[in-house]
Amino acid sequence: MRIRLLPVWLLAALTLGALAMVARPGASYAYQDREHTLAGASLQHPAGTDELGRDRLVRVSAALLLSLAGALAASVLTTGAAASIGTLAAFAPRGVAWLTMLVCDAFLSLPWLFLLMMVRSALPLQASPAHSAAITFLVLAALGWPACARAVYRGGVGLKRAGWILQARASGLRGRQLIRQVVPNLVPLLLPQFLICVPAFVIAEANLGALGLGIGEPLPSWGGMLLELDNSALLFRTEWVYFPLALLILVLLLLEAIPVEA
Amino acid sequence: MKTLSSLLRSLARALALVLLVMIGSTLLVRRAPGYLSDAREMDARYGSTVRAELAHESARSSLPQMLAREAKGWLHGDAGVSRQFGVPVRELIQPRLAVTGALLLRSLLLGWALAITAALAASTRRRSGVVWQAPASLLLAIPTAAMATLCLLAGSGGPVLVMALLIAARDFKFLCRILRQAWLEPHLLQARAQGIRMRRLLAVQVAPAIAAQLAALAGLSLVTALSALVPVEVLFDVPGLGQLAWNAAMNRDLPVLLAVTLLMALAVTSSGMLGGQPGEWERA
Repeated sequence: MRIRLLPVWLLAALTLGALAMVARPGASYAYQDREHTLAGASLQHPAGTDELGRDRLVRVSAALLLSLAGALAASVLTTGAAASIGTLAAFAPRGVAWLTMLVCDAFLSLPWLFLLMMVRSALPLQASPAHSAAITFLVLAALGWPACARAVYRGGVGLKRAGWILQARASGLRGRQLIRQVVPNLVPLLLPQFLICVPAFVIAEANLGALGLGIGEPLPSWGGMLLELDNSALLFRTEWVYFPLALLILVLLLLEAIPVEA
Repeated sequence: MKTLSSLLRSLARALALVLLVMIGSTLLVRRAPGYLSDAREMDARYGSTVRAELAHESARSSLPQMLAREAKGWLHGDAGVSRQFGVPVRELIQPRLAVTGALLLRSLLLGWALAITAALAASTRRRSGVVWQAPASLLLAIPTAAMATLCLLAGSGGPVLVMALLIAARDFKFLCRILRQAWLEPHLLQARAQGIRMRRLLAVQVAPAIAAQLAALAGLSLVTALSALVPVEVLFDVPGLGQLAWNAAMNRDLPVLLAVTLLMALAVTSSGMLGGQPGEWERA
């Protein structure tokens, strides 16, 4: 096993562990054991329970899976959108490219959290937890593409001026044929962008949730569980309240440590 | 003449950006499925009044009308009326501007001082990279809200420290890379080999060479600081724009949220204009 890939293996192990926890017979992130609220670690609840008696380990595992799945899906969407927009802008006439980059700059000049808050607060009052989760990650995907599109655009412009592309165009290669040749050459640029987006989306969801604007209860999320830290009365009763934060930091460090070179 | 035309061009670009942000934000808000709903609808005491207000709002808020109203209002310094408080948004924003401005300024100064000190130490010593990189990575892996909560629980550190640490951690990585590249220039290697003092080299050679990148990075720092503003102000109970925006988001007060978002965009665009080309920092 190459040491550079250690974060990937550790993340895979964490994900498998979380999957095993959630798929365990009888495990439910919403089940409330009212006899054992705010309990410490035990055989029944290895990481204790929250104030409603829900198993913290199952909830943290489900949050990890939900957050990773959502962030990965959002990253795929955002990288795909950025690849399409960036490539098209690079090969389009100058006016279209200028306008596209202006739109990118308009998005980049808005701090994410404000846009996210604006969109989240304008959702219907009766949005279900699953809908709120889907919308949160969709909004992240919709807002994350401009920085990536700028990088793709610059790469695309570089390719457009490359000798082999000029030769191909002079030989009559057009439209779809040209794109089929260009896109594989942009992969080394897209992979790092994709890997940068994943931790950014995880942390954005956590921040949004910690402000009460993230994924709705009873669906577990990092942000929702960080809200427990606001209740100082809980902190004196069990130190397991810090467990979600510790695991979140570990996951983010592992995501940051994944080598971004293709 | 060339400077004037370049200044005019960047001014026109900044104006176009602000206009685009205004159109985009208004479109986003107006098209959002919950635009014409209010939490007070659920309360029997206010239900009928709120529904009447919303029906009135619906009648006068087609997208072109909304855009025209927003643009006209902003040109006259009027950002509309808060749905939650029923007072002009300007009255809510004005007293908070100074609070947020002071917080941002102090955080940026402290953050930059920390980042520059760490980047100088890391870039000039060959084997100290990990010693500085590790804390920076750790700080970036902690969500701002969690960092603020931990500071509150520990009873030490305040909003300025949390924001400064975040800014320092993010800028350190860029600064370190910029400085490392700068120190590798052949003339600087030669000068160091000849024993010219680092401080002198830094002031005379390095700083002027990287000034443009630093200015662009300062713009990025502002975006970082603005992103951290909401959790920090909410958790530390600082009566600034971030807290106002959060309060507006929780109470679906979209005119206030729209005004604060536009103000943020204006601040970032202006800083980008002062800081130079938008893509400059990406070269680092």
